[in-house]
Amino acid sequence: MFRLMYHYFRVGALNELQYRVNFLVQLLQSAIALGVGLAGLGVVFSHTTDLGGWTRPELLAVMGVHTLMLGLINAVIEPNMQRLMNDVQQGTLDYALTKPADAQVLVSVRELRLWSLLDVILGAIVLGVALAQLGGQLGLWQTLGFAVALLLGGLMIYSLWLMVTTVAFWVVRVDNILNLFEGLYAAGRWPVGIYPGWLRGLLTFLVPVAFAVTVPAEALTGRLTAATLGLAAAIAGGLLLLARLVWRIGLRRYAGASA
Amino acid sequence: MSTLDPAITVAELRKFYRVPVREGGLVASLRSLVRRRVREVRAVDGVSFTIAPGEIVGFLGPNGAGKTTTLKMLAGLLHPTSGEVRVLGHVPQRREREYLRRMTLVMGNRNQLQWDLPALDSFDLQRAIYRIPQAEFRRARDEYIELMGVGDLVSKPVRNLSLGERMKMEIIAALLHRPQVLFLDEPTIGLDVTMQRRIRGFIAEYNRRTGATVMLTSHYMADVEALCRRVIVIHHGLVLYDGPLTGLVERFAAYRQIGVTLAEPADLEPYGEVMGVDGAKVTLRVPKAEASRVTARLLAELAVEDLTIEEPPIDDVIEQVFAADADVGLEALPS
Amino acid sequence: MIDFYITMARTAVMEQFQYRTANYFYMIGMIAEPVIYLVVWSTVAAAQGGEVGGYTPGTFAAYYIVWTLVRNMNIVFTPYAWEWRIKDGTLSAELLRPIHPIHGDIAYFGGWKLVVIVLWLPLAALLSLLFRPTLSPTLLEIGVFAVAIWGAYLIRTAFLWALGMVSFWTTRVSALFELYFALELLLSGRLVPMSLLPPWAQRLADFLPFQWTFGFPIEALVGELPPAQLLGGLGMQLLWIAVGWALVQLVWRAGVRRYGAVGG
Repeated sequence: MFRLMYHYFRVGALNELQYRVNFLVQLLQSAIALGVGLAGLGVVFSHTTDLGGWTRPELLAVMGVHTLMLGLINAVIEPNMQRLMNDVQQGTLDYALTKPADAQVLVSVRELRLWSLLDVILGAIVLGVALAQLGGQLGLWQTLGFAVALLLGGLMIYSLWLMVTTVAFWVVRVDNILNLFEGLYAAGRWPVGIYPGWLRGLLTFLVPVAFAVTVPAEALTGRLTAATLGLAAAIAGGLLLLARLVWRIGLRRYAGASA
Repeated sequence: MSTLDPAITVAELRKFYRVPVREGGLVASLRSLVRRRVREVRAVDGVSFTIAPGEIVGFLGPNGAGKTTTLKMLAGLLHPTSGEVRVLGHVPQRREREYLRRMTLVMGNRNQLQWDLPALDSFDLQRAIYRIPQAEFRRARDEYIELMGVGDLVSKPVRNLSLGERMKMEIIAALLHRPQVLFLDEPTIGLDVTMQRRIRGFIAEYNRRTGATVMLTSHYMADVEALCRRVIVIHHGLVLYDGPLTGLVERFAAYRQIGVTLAEPADLEPYGEVMGVDGAKVTLRVPKAEASRVTARLLAELAVEDLTIEEPPIDDVIEQVFAADADVGLEALPS
Repeated sequence: MIDFYITMARTAVMEQFQYRTANYFYMIGMIAEPVIYLVVWSTVAAAQGGEVGGYTPGTFAAYYIVWTLVRNMNIVFTPYAWEWRIKDGTLSAELLRPIHPIHGDIAYFGGWKLVVIVLWLPLAALLSLLFRPTLSPTLLEIGVFAVAIWGAYLIRTAFLWALGMVSFWTTRVSALFELYFALELLLSGRLVPMSLLPPWAQRLADFLPFQWTFGFPIEALVGELPPAQLLGGLGMQLLWIAVGWALVQLVWRAGVRRYGAVGG
C-alpha cells in the first residue's frame, strides 16, 4: 500500500515539475498583461480624473473584474471550446457523444487549463486594491450582487461561445470570427457607458461583454440597480436556452453528416 | 578547375554532437535542473571518399548511419567537427553564392513549391532566385516538363497534385538552374513504381546531358541498381564499402538462393535453409561455396522440374552488412 | 535582385488574393482595438473641454483610423514562427539558396501589404463615416506618409527578425517576446499618441525604434508637422533601418554558425 502511495506521489511530483515551467510562463505573461493594463490606465488618468463618470479606483475595479473574468474564460471556457472545434474539424467528436453523460455538459467541462486561474487571483488582487482605494465597505448585498453578476456574465459568455463553436458544425472556418470576439472582449476593460450608443448596443446585446465585466463592477461600486441585475438574469437565461437549442440542432446535423 | 579534378572530396570527415542525457525518475529530474549531463554522439566518424565529375554514386546506410548528416555537410548546412570537404573546389560551409548556384539538394519529403499556386509560378520564382537568363530558363523548363511528362499538370495548383506529381515538380524546380552537383536524399520515397521509374529515368538523362555529379541516397534498391555503378556504404558513421555495386553483392553476399520446383513435394531441410514455399516452388538458402554441390545433389536425388540459382536480393545483402558490427571491419566479413 | 523582389511580391499577391476573405476577417477583428482607444480618448477629451494633448475627438478619430493601416503595415514574420522555421526544415531550404532569406520575407510580406492596402480602403471609408475624423493633409504629408509606412515595415522586419533568431539558441522565448511587445505597445504610439505619454516615457522612447514604426507614420499624415520634422523623421527611420540591418547581420551570422554546429 505504501508502495502505491509512493508511486502516485512520484507521478504527481513529476507532473508538478512540468507544470511549474508552464506556471512560470503564465505568471510572466499575466504580469506583463497586467502591467500594460495598469500603464494604460495610468496614462489615461494622467490627463483626467474622471472617465465617463468613473473614477480611477473604480476603473481599477473594472480592470480587476476584467482580468478575473478572463482568467475564468481561459481556464474553463476557452480550452473546452477549442477542443470542441478541433474535434469537429477532425471528426473525433464521436468519442464524447458516445459517453453516457449529457454531451453538452461533457464537452463544456472536460478541459481545464489550471494555470489560467492565476489571472483569477491577479484579478482578485487588483479588485482588492481598488476597493481599498475606494475606502468603501463591502455590504452583504453588494458582495452577493457581485457574485451573481459574475456568474451571470460567465454563463452569457459561455452560451455565446458555445453557439459560435457549434456553428463550426456547419461552417468549418470559425476561428476568424473568434478573433473578432477576442477583440471585442478587450473592450470590456472600460465601462460600457463610454461607448457611443450604437456601439454600446452592439457590445451589450451581441456580445455580453458589458454584462460580464461592467455589471459586476457596478455591483461592487454601488451602482447596480435591481433592474440591471434582473435584465442580466433574463438575458443569461435566454442565452442559455438559445445555446442549448443551437447545440442540439448542430448535434443533429453532425450526427447526420457522419452517419 | 579542369575536368580531371574530382568533383567531391571528403577527407576524415567527422561530425560529433553533444546530446543531453535524459534519465527517468524523480531524483534524476531534480539533478538535471542543477547540472546537465551530456554524451557525445558520433554521427560521422572519419569518412573519406572522392567522387569524379559525372559519377552517379549511391549512398547507402540504415537510418542514423550518418548518410543525411554527410549530405548536409556536403551541402553546407552543417559544419564538420573536423576533416575536410570540398565540392567543385568550394568549401560548402562557407555558403558562397557561387557554390549555391552550382549545386542542389533535394530531400524526399520537403516541400519547396508554393502550395496554392501552379508549379509554373514556382519555377518562375526559381528563375528569379538563381538569376537564370530567360532564354536558358525557358529551354530548361520546357525540356524538363517534357522529360517528366507533366505538361498538363504544371498549371494546376500544387495542392491539387498527388504526391508523385508533386515530387516530379520538386525535382524539376531543383534542376532549373542546371546545377553541376546533385544531392538527392530519398527522392522516390513514398511513390508508386511508375513514378519511381520516371524519376530515375529523368535523373539518368540529366546526368547524361549535363555530365552532372550525383550523390543519391535511397532505401529502394531499384533506384540504386538502375542509376549507380558505384556505391558507398556507411554505418555507425564509417564507410564500410566504397566500390562497384556488383562488387558489393559479391563481397557481402555469403549466400545463394536456389529456387526449386519439384514434381512432387519433398522435405528439403537436409539440403539447406528453407526460406519460403510458394506452391510447388521452394526457395532454399545455401552458403555460396556449397551452391553448386547442393544443386548437383538436388538434381540427382529428386524429381526437379525447374531450378534457378540467384544472388540474394540486394536488400538482404545490405541488411546483412548493416547487421554486422562495424568494428569487425571489412576484411573480417565472410566472402 | 529587383527581379526577385518583383517575382516574389507577385507570388504573394496571387496567393493572398486567394485568401482575401480570411484577410478581411482578420482586419475586421483588428479594428476593435483602435476603436476602443478612440472612444476612451474621445471621452477624456470631452471631459477636458474638447481637447487633450493637442488632440480633439476629430483628430483622435483621424489618428486611430490611420492607425489601422499602419498596424497592418507593421505585421511581419512573427518571431514565434522562428522555432518552427528552424525545426521544420524550411530554414534549410532557404540556406541552400544563393539569397539571404530576409529578402524572401521582405518581398513576400511586401507583396502581401499591397493586397492589404487595397482591402483596407473600403474599411477606412466605413470608419470615416462612423467616426468623422478631422483630416486635411498636405501633399508633402501624403508623400512622406506613403514612404514612412514602408520605412516602418522595414524597421519592424529587421528588429523582429533579430528577436526571432534568439530561437537558434533557446526555445524558452515567450517571456522575452511578450516583454518586447508590451514595451512596443506602450512606447510606439500604438496605445496612445506619443504626445500623451508622460515626458519621461517620451524621452525613453527616443532611444528606441518603436515610435518610428507606428507613431511617426501616423503623425506624418494626421499631425501638423512642419516639413523639417517630416523629412527629419524619414531620416530617423533610415537610421533605425541601418541599426536594424546591422543587428540582423550580426545575429544571423552567429545563428547560422550555431545552426551548422548543432543541426535542427
